[in-house]
Amino acid sequence: MSTIALSINNKAIGPIETSDDIMMIEFLHEHLNMTGTKFGCGVGVCHACTVIVDNEDGSSESVRTCINGVSRFNGKKIRTIEGHAKENEFGEIIKLSPVQETFIENFSFQCGWCTSGFVNETTVLVERLKLMPIRVSEIETVIEKALGDHVCRCTGYVKYYKAVKELILSTEGLTRS
Amino acid sequence: MKINLNAFTLSALFLALPLTVNAAQDELVEQGKYLAKLGDCTACHTIDEGQANGGGLPFTTPFGIVYSTNISSDEEFGIGHYSLEDFTDAMRGGVAPKGNLYPAMPYTSYHLLMDQDIEALYRYFLSTKPVKQKNRDNDLMFPTNIRFGLKAWNLVNHDSKVFEADADKSEKWNRGSYIVNGLGHCGECHTPRDVMFAMDQSRHFEGELIGGAEASDITPKELNRQGWTKQDLDDVLRKGYSRKGTVFAGMYPVVFHSFSHLTEDDMSAVTSYLLDNDAEVTAKSDTFNGHDKSDPGYKLYSGYCAGCHGINGEGKPNVSPALIANATIDKVVPINTLSVMLNGVEEQRYSHTHGFYAMPSYRDTLNVKQLTELTNYIRKVWTKQSSDLTESQVQGWVDKIEDSIADAAH
Ligand code: FES
Ligand code: FES
Repeated sequence: MSTIALSINNKAIGPIETSDDIMMIEFLHEHLNMTGTKFGCGVGVCHACTVIVDNEDGSSESVRTCINGVSRFNGKKIRTIEGHAKENEFGEIIKLSPVQETFIENFSFQCGWCTSGFVNETTVLVERLKLMPIRVSEIETVIEKALGDHVCRCTGYVKYYKAVKELILSTEGLTRS
Repeated sequence: MKINLNAFTLSALFLALPLTVNAAQDELVEQGKYLAKLGDCTACHTIDEGQANGGGLPFTTPFGIVYSTNISSDEEFGIGHYSLEDFTDAMRGGVAPKGNLYPAMPYTSYHLLMDQDIEALYRYFLSTKPVKQKNRDNDLMFPTNIRFGLKAWNLVNHDSKVFEADADKSEKWNRGSYIVNGLGHCGECHTPRDVMFAMDQSRHFEGELIGGAEASDITPKELNRQGWTKQDLDDVLRKGYSRKGTVFAGMYPVVFHSFSHLTEDDMSAVTSYLLDNDAEVTAKSDTFNGHDKSDPGYKLYSGYCAGCHGINGEGKPNVSPALIANATIDKVVPINTLSVMLNGVEEQRYSHTHGFYAMPSYRDTLNVKQLTELTNYIRKVWTKQSSDLTESQVQGWVDKIEDSIADAAH
């Protein structure tokens, strides 16, 4: 057993006792009842279980929770799918994030199994482009590189990619001439 | 009647003669095809999605880029116009009709080939599909761009002796030695190079760092110490994975294109030679010393590695190799352990049902302190190697790995 303390969606979690050798996804599901992060292949391939880790230098990165143990996240700041939408004081959702909005508008997902992974990965991408804008001509390659490893078993790729492209083009500061 | 019979026999003979010659030629071509696989010729002489044997694959050397040449049967761009003698000279002496070859072509190993095998290869290459593709000019720095210098290099470093059997060893061992040192050209990566960049035969097969990973020490002494059995070697060379771990870096294409095609007899000869033992070797018991959860390395292991390699290092079939009995971590110098942590490992596919997933690179995730703790921990749990490596030692090896990647990218 060991003690874990971290921040999830800007809320301090723990210190909480957990077995050392469980993977992060199990910690989220079984200890915190946060089931929005989906378990797919369990071996690091489908990227459904991706969450965001916020680094101290202000950058964010995507990390798969099925192949990374809970100890890797000790002391870290992470974001999961539960943290994107804005809630009111009663815990009701009042506003979705721009990434969530664009996926809904484009009807990108169907069963939703892969969606939390796509939302997190796209959010990381958008945040990276804010720091390092790309040329419009590079958009497709950049999207492919960022999202190419995410598996959608309902085959929603075209609509996902289209939505992300639209979002990048319509958000100020993500592209340069 | 008698005359008739003779006439019949004679005509039958005439009929049979070309057929026998053709059958013999076909057999030679077939044999050459097998030998070409053994020598891994296609892998170096074919670019991705290019036509087989058309050449053009770049080889980064410390002196610049050398491109492999067209070795298809094309008369203009390939080797279709070579005589058997030309071909033999290229294979044994590194001298082609147009001039000296760079030793990136392993004639420094191929010289061991016997005449009949060279002829078989020659017949095979002449039977391949001609590829209309011009050779690319090399991009080498002075003075290595002067081919004339290669004559001098050969004079000092190249011994073009044909294979000689060792009378004290079995026929099987000798066949293994012929394959491994000749067409297999294993020494080209696994033997350290001297100041002239020639194989240092006094350290035959003791291992060399190339492009960020070490082509391991494959001397019988080291393989036996690590507890390889003949079956383990057969598995790793034929399938790329075994009880002792998987191949990675430059060895994956070698298994894929070359060793996986070996006949059983040849593979048995190879493993007899590598272990210096004709009989099967009994496996040693695996080392697993249990976890020490108070060690900082334990948290790193459970956080970064256990998801794929299993909390007890048992691995996952078709996902990632076990750490128990893994030869990569059971080495005195942990260069390859660090190399996989820094560089990750590319996905490996061997068939529709067998393969391994990619391992991510931890270059930007783990610092030297963490790399040191993790390496020490892994060694402590799964090997009998020392587990008191210092940060400055690890930093030294990391620098070596990075330098060797930079060298390869020149
Ligand atoms: S569930 Fe984590 S990558 Fe598939
Ligand atoms: S929406 Fe069903 S898996 Fe992607």
